[in-house]
Amino acid sequence: MLSYILRRIVATLPVMAIVALFVFSLLYIAPGDPAVVIAGDQASPEDVERIRQSLGLDRPFLIQFGSWVWRLLHGDLGTSIFTNLPVSTLIGQRLGPTLSLMVITLLLTIVVAVPLGVVAAWKAGSFIDRAIMGFAVFGFSLPVFVVGYVLAYVFALQLEWLPVQGYTPLNQGFWPWLQNLILPAIALGCVYIALVARITRAAMLEVLQQDYIRTAKAKGLGQGGILFIHALKNAAVPIVTVIGIGIALLIGGAVVTESVFAIPGLGRLTIDAILRRDYPVIQGIVLLFSFVYVLVNLMIDVTYTLVDPRIRY
Amino acid sequence: MDRRTVLKGLAGASGLALTGGLSAPAIAQGASARTLRFVPQANLANFDPIWGTQYVVRNAAALVWDTLYGVDSSLVPQRQMVESEEVTDDGMTWTFKLRSGLKFHDGEPVLSKDVVASLNRWAARDPMGLMLKAIQQELTAVDDRTFKWVLKQPFPKMLYALAKNNSPCAFIMPERIAQTDPFKQISDYVGSGPMKFATGEWVPGAKAVFEKFTDYAPRQEKASWLAGGKQILVDRVEWVVMPDPATAAAALQNGEIDWWENPIADLVPVLKNNKNINVDIGDPLGNIGSFRMNFLYPPFNDVRARRAVLMAMSQEDYMRALVGDDDTLWKPLPGFFTPGTPLYTEMGGEILMGKRDLDAAKKLLAESGYSGQPVTCLVAQDQPITKAMGDVTADLLKKLGMNVDFVATDWGTVGARRALKTPPGQGGWNMFHTWHAGADCINPAPYTAIRANGDKAWFGWPTSAGTEKEVTSWFEAKNLDEEKAAIGRLNKAAMDDVVYAPTGFFLSYTAWRKNVSGVTKGPLPFFWGVSKTA
Repeated sequence: MLSYILRRIVATLPVMAIVALFVFSLLYIAPGDPAVVIAGDQASPEDVERIRQSLGLDRPFLIQFGSWVWRLLHGDLGTSIFTNLPVSTLIGQRLGPTLSLMVITLLLTIVVAVPLGVVAAWKAGSFIDRAIMGFAVFGFSLPVFVVGYVLAYVFALQLEWLPVQGYTPLNQGFWPWLQNLILPAIALGCVYIALVARITRAAMLEVLQQDYIRTAKAKGLGQGGILFIHALKNAAVPIVTVIGIGIALLIGGAVVTESVFAIPGLGRLTIDAILRRDYPVIQGIVLLFSFVYVLVNLMIDVTYTLVDPRIRY
Repeated sequence: MDRRTVLKGLAGASGLALTGGLSAPAIAQGASARTLRFVPQANLANFDPIWGTQYVVRNAAALVWDTLYGVDSSLVPQRQMVESEEVTDDGMTWTFKLRSGLKFHDGEPVLSKDVVASLNRWAARDPMGLMLKAIQQELTAVDDRTFKWVLKQPFPKMLYALAKNNSPCAFIMPERIAQTDPFKQISDYVGSGPMKFATGEWVPGAKAVFEKFTDYAPRQEKASWLAGGKQILVDRVEWVVMPDPATAAAALQNGEIDWWENPIADLVPVLKNNKNINVDIGDPLGNIGSFRMNFLYPPFNDVRARRAVLMAMSQEDYMRALVGDDDTLWKPLPGFFTPGTPLYTEMGGEILMGKRDLDAAKKLLAESGYSGQPVTCLVAQDQPITKAMGDVTADLLKKLGMNVDFVATDWGTVGARRALKTPPGQGGWNMFHTWHAGADCINPAPYTAIRANGDKAWFGWPTSAGTEKEVTSWFEAKNLDEEKAAIGRLNKAAMDDVVYAPTGFFLSYTAWRKNVSGVTKGPLPFFWGVSKTA
């Protein structure tokens, strides 16, 4: 297993290199020019050209790419064109809020979606099942920003229980940290909860029809034991898969959620960087996301072996 | 359902709820009355007001760096860091003396050598600075508090150049910082102004913090725009970037922020209904909407085609697309200069007045030789102002019988593409949309868009000898009457040659909570004199 994990980690390096080359090439050929944005609307073409030169944007593609790779190999993600700050600093500033939001959303999803899916499967065909699946369809259909606005309206403006926006680091207290994340996590988690609940129900229904479940019932085992010990463990592979894949959804959803709730996370940094053509920042974030995605896939594969002993690598 | 609809609906509902008495302090509220939380118009993505000239950078820089002179609300330059100035009778030697007691944020005194270095860096990037540089004989420090600017010919607008509020302003930095190449960004933000930049708390794209500089020596006069006593009455000003207008509106209602620089028109009724919030016009100098036509290629290389567009266009259509039904926010503009300012004129603007004549415009367009070739119209749809104007223009051109190649893209792309002088079919363009701050259109000095000197002009590269002649006349004018006469002739020449198409004059609101006082109208948010109670 250890050698498998090491092999997978080593295999991420060429994947990331290809992603890096792809992203760099894409940005190079894409229209738009950071020098134009920097110079402002009233700047002359000569001013814009001077800024391009000072940023090295007038150099040939291969030189720019080579220079970037060289710095990367030395652990340097480069410097933001706009802020003049290291990309690693910018990502470091934004990592905390995004990670916090994703962790809370993930926990919320597992705590809410898995039991809902199990109960729906257990009560398949009943009103409860239909209500849960109806909720799932509803949650799946609503855009994140609509849920976000409604939550902010009800819980922040009407009830005044929670703040509308912002982020407080965890080192300033657990509650201040959590209270800023509750509404965004619910908004972001709605689609995710719906997805996981539906997959859990489908997987559980399949397992509940197996002979060993019938045997367990015949032995007189309680419903809880049957559902959460025997059935859920055997239905876990597709659930784990969809939770893992969902992390990619979270990254995409975080862009909108961070904007609606003014959370200074990586999602907002990405959008800002793209709109300004801040190439080093975009490249740094894409590399980070690629790495995270590869790691998540690895963790899913490893988790398979834990929930299903028949799987070996 | 789109995002804007949801935003309006929910914000409207929240407004009703709040006017119903649900405006008690939120759990999240509780920041100190010594901290003013402000939502700026845009993200402060960099912080060098000479290198990057976006308005938001200029606005933040006005807190951190002081200027030698500052324009007041009457648009008159007033002494700021300067104690006195002398100019020789021939108008060619200016000698300035700094006020005593001026300090930088690192405790060092402000000296003439700092001023000289700062002016050199500024002059390399500013249009008026470049004019000064072109006629400069020497700019030297005479002693610690005196410096001298010797010119080869008189420059009557010297004090205005040093006082103006359009970007880049002549901010005074320490010599070691000001010696940075003007095309490279500074990373040391030691300033001369009333507030210090808290570098360690800067999260670009999210938050910028300014702290009161206790050693700042304000002037004794009453503050007026960039002039007078810049008294800071709070300890901290926090700029909180909020890209989503609905979030900013909700945060203002909830008391999580104190001042929102420019609420969008859709949400203003909600804010006006809230008993805890003041809403008023932010900048009386407003903005001038515009689209520019490319003088280099058909059809707009022919003045008849440009005039045809002006004859057919309705400024009301443009303005309603921008500001909706609020008639207090716009006015027609048959000219190029900012309404309500001393040089405003409508001379020669008849083509934009009265009933629109589509038939006559079509006839004139045909006379220009237009034969149905595609007209490439660039529109930055990530900016609500340009998007709204672009939609109106597309409709206008179609009504005129033109074949519109509507390129809806983002500002970064429009900004890069508009600089191309290649033909429209080869990556170039025929027209693009933008707007100008009214503060930049009060006279020709900061008004890049009105220049019509061909290759050296702004994008579109208009050529109009009459316009350029009157720009020179204005610079040489000895008094206000001469200036007004020159600007009248300039306006007519620019309108005859259609240097660009003004789409109207529009204003925008600013909103702040009622426990904040001292907010004034101006071309940028002024924080001096602003205080807050708990």
